[in-house]
Amino acid sequence: MDDMQDILEDFLIEASELTEQLDEDLVELEENPEDKELLNKIFRVAHTIKGSGSFLNFDVLTHLTHHMEDVLNKARHGDLVIDSDIMDVVFESIDLMKGLLEQIKETGSDKGGIDVSECVEKLKNISQGKDVEEKAEEVVTQQEAPQEQAKDEKVQNLDPIAQRMAEETANINTDEMSEEEVEAEIERLLKIRQEEDKKRREQKKKEKGTVAATQPPKLATKSAPTSNATSSANAKNTQALKKKPAAPEQTIRVDVSRLDHLMNLIGELVLGKNRLSKIYDDVEERYEGEQFLEELSNVVSSVSVVTTDLQIAVMKTRMLPVGKVFNKFPRMVRDLSRELKKDIELVISGEETELDKSIVEEIGDPLVHIIRNSCDHGIELPEVRVAAGKPEKGTVNLKAYNEGNNIIIEITDDGKGLDPDELISKSLEKGIISEKEADRLSEKEAFTLIFRPGFSTAKVVTNVSGRGVGMDVVKTNIEKLNGIIDIDSEKGKGTTIKLKIPLTLAIIQSLLVNVQEELYAIPLSSVLETVRITSDEVKYVEGKSVLRLRNEVLPLVHIADIYDVERTYDTGEHAYVVIIGLAEKKLGLIVDELIGQEEIVIKSLGNYIKGIEGIAGATIRGDGRVTLIADVGALMEMSKDASAKAKDAMESLYQTKKKESPQDYKVLIVDDSKTDRTIMKKSLQPLGVSYEEAVNGEEALSKLKDLDADFDAVLIDIEMPRMDGYTLASEIRKFNRYKNLPLIAVTSRASKSDRMRGVEVGMTEYITKPYSQEYLANVVKRNINLA
Amino acid sequence: MNEKIEKLLKQQKQQMEEPRVDDMDDVIQLVGFIVGEEEFAVPILSIKEIIKPIEYTRVPKTPSYVLGVFNMRGTVLPLVDLKNKFGMPKTKFDDDTRVIVLKDGDEQVGFVIEELSEAIRIKESNIEPAPEGSGKDNLIYGVGKVDDRLITILNVKALLKRDF
Repeated sequence: MDDMQDILEDFLIEASELTEQLDEDLVELEENPEDKELLNKIFRVAHTIKGSGSFLNFDVLTHLTHHMEDVLNKARHGDLVIDSDIMDVVFESIDLMKGLLEQIKETGSDKGGIDVSECVEKLKNISQGKDVEEKAEEVVTQQEAPQEQAKDEKVQNLDPIAQRMAEETANINTDEMSEEEVEAEIERLLKIRQEEDKKRREQKKKEKGTVAATQPPKLATKSAPTSNATSSANAKNTQALKKKPAAPEQTIRVDVSRLDHLMNLIGELVLGKNRLSKIYDDVEERYEGEQFLEELSNVVSSVSVVTTDLQIAVMKTRMLPVGKVFNKFPRMVRDLSRELKKDIELVISGEETELDKSIVEEIGDPLVHIIRNSCDHGIELPEVRVAAGKPEKGTVNLKAYNEGNNIIIEITDDGKGLDPDELISKSLEKGIISEKEADRLSEKEAFTLIFRPGFSTAKVVTNVSGRGVGMDVVKTNIEKLNGIIDIDSEKGKGTTIKLKIPLTLAIIQSLLVNVQEELYAIPLSSVLETVRITSDEVKYVEGKSVLRLRNEVLPLVHIADIYDVERTYDTGEHAYVVIIGLAEKKLGLIVDELIGQEEIVIKSLGNYIKGIEGIAGATIRGDGRVTLIADVGALMEMSKDASAKAKDAMESLYQTKKKESPQDYKVLIVDDSKTDRTIMKKSLQPLGVSYEEAVNGEEALSKLKDLDADFDAVLIDIEMPRMDGYTLASEIRKFNRYKNLPLIAVTSRASKSDRMRGVEVGMTEYITKPYSQEYLANVVKRNINLA
Repeated sequence: MNEKIEKLLKQQKQQMEEPRVDDMDDVIQLVGFIVGEEEFAVPILSIKEIIKPIEYTRVPKTPSYVLGVFNMRGTVLPLVDLKNKFGMPKTKFDDDTRVIVLKDGDEQVGFVIEELSEAIRIKESNIEPAPEGSGKDNLIYGVGKVDDRLITILNVKALLKRDF
């Protein structure tokens, strides 16, 4: 039973491989019905499936394929000219065959479910079509005659041998013969027979020259099993060899999970490599010029080269040619063009371009929708095309090619193109966008409306499209793959949709960015460009910050607002904007710094914290730290409310708590000398303000870092251990919220250069010791605006 | 001197024999630790390992007790401040602070604790079920009596369950 199971599985795999190529071949066949090579190929598929199917007792399948085989066989021998009506039936039968195979895969049986009788009837009719039948019969009779003859000859020829044998055996007393003698006798008789056969074979060959081309193999197998079949097979083989010297493909089937495991291990190795090169950098700095460094450098670089090669090699094992997906489109376009009564040609190029298996699987659906859309809405009816001065036949180009770490799939049609005004008015009608939005849309943005859910320009919902789901599916699927959609169209000329998809999903190139003290990795495949801006380049439209970049207006959002990063440090006048794109959308992400590009391995965060909005996963970097990976798709979503939140945050920042009594004011006293602190405290007492103390710069800074800290002024001594007053002041000024905090230096250093330095680091006032208590109190009072 | 050695040997012998007696009953081995001046324990078999605190990365949009994620030899694990999870202020890291990595099936999470106390062997019969109304999360497996102390035994499965 297990054996049968194995055979069944092999059969299913083989069958699905065979049928995969079938559609494309058939469409090609329709174009060149004379192509014998193609016909043979298609015939072989039906034949093989029939053969294995009957062995496995799949009667329905065998029944169907048997009749398919009949028709194809006739065509292959030129008895039948394939026109598109016959083709339709053939396609139908192939669909049924696929259906049956699918059913077998699921239920293990081909019975019930699919009814093939109607299709079989059609196939029968074709193969027995009257003209065809007559011709066939003629052939048969012609064929029969010489064979009849041959048979007669054979019988005649055989007769003397048989007679002789009979005579001889009669003459010889077998009992008297030794074993060897018997064998020798048999051999002799056989030789005679073989000689006769050979002669006949030669004769046959001559005859075959005239009839073999139209002779169905069934007849051949009936009468002359050896001669005819072998010679025609030989002929076929030599023909094939001449045309295609294809070496047998050397492949083994490997379970995908094993490859996945391998990929995971490589991932670990890549992390190790990153770590190694980081350590090398550190070591290089420390032991510059030492002998062993060179050796180490050799090892590190060779390890990293090998790791990279290994990674590419393993990645390649997972790669499939995108043609696997493209295969089904010629058939689809053919059916569509018949259904829509249009004349459409699909031109495919770059089908050998390779992609990761998981991506190949995901990309089929979006392409189906795009191509359907092009055929249905893009390409016009032949009359319209001719009237517009275009060739009657519309063309859809499907092209794949590599570009860096991405693959580009381009779908171009030469149809009527998209009309931005129409798109906008349709969207308004369906309530997809508001009037306000509509006014702001650029032409290119208007094109992207077709990806909105519920959008449809078709006036009638047809079988093909118009329900307003298709292009939305495209968007979601491409987003899932971190891909980018670019759409371009010219009215009357056609439309181009460009899909940019990363080659692989597990190990990716990323852009590391920095915000405050945190690092985030953005998948490089989603990064369109980076720009450096000054704060006044940020414009506000309806309370949302935007950036004008060349002729586009991009929404802007600060990464700190998305990831709730506290903005403790001021980052200065300049900021960097990472322009990210996903599917058809773009967004400007403000970051503090760009760190650089790094290859990262995506790791799951585990069940406990996975699914955090905006985080796609984590990676371990060269220094062993964990860096989070931004989920570009979610960023797009989150950016909508983040920019509003940012504004609120800004406002609340300036809304300081109301201070009524002097006690609500708080002064921080920073001095290492206890005496000095006491003097300062005493001076402040008359004001009634509260105070805190710190004995050096570091302590003061940590007090200020505390979020609940709410100081109104700081008295700073200059000479202190651990961190002096100048450093403290400059550190304090780095905080956004302490930009305007009064910093009062209290020191015995009174030279002009000291004062200058104080101003440079951001001191507000400068009090020289010794001072009167009233003077200090007045300065503080003035600075904190105490009534 | 001889006396001392003899005493030591006797003690060791006793120690060796003692567990055997315990093994006959349903004895649970626990690891005890301190969080917020209280003693807690988890079954030793649910512990993947105990490490000194290492650097972690903050993860946005998580409750405050989720400190972030850290790298345990190539695996990214969440780090939870147990003290903060129990409603107290966050743990101040010092020399005694440890991270206990607990596992339940494939799920692993690191928990920050203030201090390890000791390994505890306790008979199942000495564990009282969690007091009524001790929280809907079922975080407490039971209360164990060791000598004259009461130790709260935590429910690891519940601890590892995401509750946000």
